[in-house]
Amino acid sequence: MEAVGTSSLVHETTVLDRREPARDVVILVLNAPRFARVTKPGQFLMVVPPHGGAAATALGVYDVDGDRVCLLFFVCGPRTLELAALRAGDRLDCFGPLGNGFDHDAAGGDVAIVAGGVGIASVLLSARALRGRDARVGLYYGARNAARLVEAQRFADEGCELHLATDDGSAGHRGPVTELLSRDLATRDTIRANAPMSILACGPTPMLRAVARIAAQHDVRAQLSLEETFACGVGGCWGCVVALDANSAQAPPFPGPDRHGSDTVHARICKEGPVFWSHELRW
Amino acid sequence: MVMGGIDLSVRLGSLELPYPTLMGSGCYGSGEEFAPFADLSKIGAIVLKSVTREPRLGNPTPRLVQTPGGMLNAIGLQNPGIDWYLEHDVAKFANRPCAVIGSVAGFCVDDYAYVCEKLAARDEIAAVEINISCPNVASEGETFACDPGPTGKVVRAVRSTTSKPIVVKLSPNVTDIAEIAREAQAAGADALAVINTVRGMAIDVDRWRPRLGNVTGGLSGPAIRPIAVLAVYEVARAVTIPIVGQGGIETVSDALEFLLAGASAISIGTGNFTDPRIPERILAGLAEYATQRGLASLRDIVGKANVGVLDAGNYEGDQG
Repeated sequence: MEAVGTSSLVHETTVLDRREPARDVVILVLNAPRFARVTKPGQFLMVVPPHGGAAATALGVYDVDGDRVCLLFFVCGPRTLELAALRAGDRLDCFGPLGNGFDHDAAGGDVAIVAGGVGIASVLLSARALRGRDARVGLYYGARNAARLVEAQRFADEGCELHLATDDGSAGHRGPVTELLSRDLATRDTIRANAPMSILACGPTPMLRAVARIAAQHDVRAQLSLEETFACGVGGCWGCVVALDANSAQAPPFPGPDRHGSDTVHARICKEGPVFWSHELRW
Repeated sequence: MVMGGIDLSVRLGSLELPYPTLMGSGCYGSGEEFAPFADLSKIGAIVLKSVTREPRLGNPTPRLVQTPGGMLNAIGLQNPGIDWYLEHDVAKFANRPCAVIGSVAGFCVDDYAYVCEKLAARDEIAAVEINISCPNVASEGETFACDPGPTGKVVRAVRSTTSKPIVVKLSPNVTDIAEIAREAQAAGADALAVINTVRGMAIDVDRWRPRLGNVTGGLSGPAIRPIAVLAVYEVARAVTIPIVGQGGIETVSDALEFLLAGASAISIGTGNFTDPRIPERILAGLAEYATQRGLASLRDIVGKANVGVLDAGNYEGDQG
């Protein structure tokens, strides 16, 4: 049963199911119709800590099915440990959805979705939305090991071609998943020169930097969903900024280049992002 | 404002607020960011993010680190500068359903006076908080709040620019906060905000480097609450002007601690990051507490736990 908390858009949800597809990887299935109706691919929710005492946790919305919203996260600290302890029937308050997700209209041609680790949590809705396009969608998915390569089959079910990589070689390519992306883009250049192509990526910053470099090499446009610690999640505290081209459509209106003599501004990852065009980042 | 028969209003100088709950500077944006998630008509005032004379890009990232019971931040006063702010932002504050208090930061006495005069001149701004205690800007930032002399100079300078209420935000990173509070009052402050963040740092043991881009940061959240309650307690014994107590307030019980220590109002900062409904819950909880205790006004409990300091020389208990 979902109730509206006071006059705000903070909503109470109920845990319907909890899965642990790998050790320290948790999927919570929530009854959350208000979030389910409005969430767009790449957006996130702020999850209120059940016992207070810490900032809310930003989690990408992994899946939406009817009234249900799924959150996928890695247990990596006290806040996610607390969330991992939730069981079916428990209450969980969230606010959102927040942030600007992936822009599928701007992602032309065949699409490579690149996910690293827990970044997989933010790309399933895109894979589904892109299905049915007259285009190939490939999932380039890297993780620490085979066990951590969770939910890959879900993407195959959504019509994605799977390109898997692990750090230890226990599944797929041994090494960074970006090596697979780089290799396939190079091949593609030879066999289908000028074929339109886009990249959507979410994962750790080193992976995203590599994706940005590879995208630039092959003249491909990439949308990157950045990972950062948030405090407020709504644009109020300026804690999660990234340096951005001042001429980007996503640049906040101040302070402009005329004020700093520079073409770089700080944009809030939670508010202007979390998805940015790789060629506009100045990181 | 009277809620359930309880007078919840509070006066900061000439400014009367309907509720004793303020939203801390730098934590609440300009209010619009939180408007979808909180009822702004149920808060006393928003204290805006600090503005400086010149635009500031702020500190390098990372700017935030989660720590036990709180967080470290080192934003570095990122702001568009007073000229841009007056031209583009301030007019929007007229639409807020609660009072809006501006916040001024600076690097020399003249900066404070210059920005305060321009900001206070605007009708949208009900009062001005003077941030002499930001721990996250190079050298000069916090030094004003760490010494009674510079504190007095800044407060006298801003006092001469406006008749609107001036709230001076004090630093906990000092030896004797009461001495600085007395100087701020003597120099013309209408109220004191107690406290700003506590200096701290966290280190990445894998990279062998500080976690924050700025190296050091300001600690906030429940972890600093006892430090803040003590600071309010000590300041309340030193001054007669109202105190806005702040530092890790998340529940009505937390808020009551500050009132009982001597604060007339409280401010919520990091608590908004936990749950944006916290301010409204605290307000309702304060009214309920007053009802249960048969109080006509929350003013009746301000400082009621402030019993002075234990004189160790006269202590007759266990001498062990």
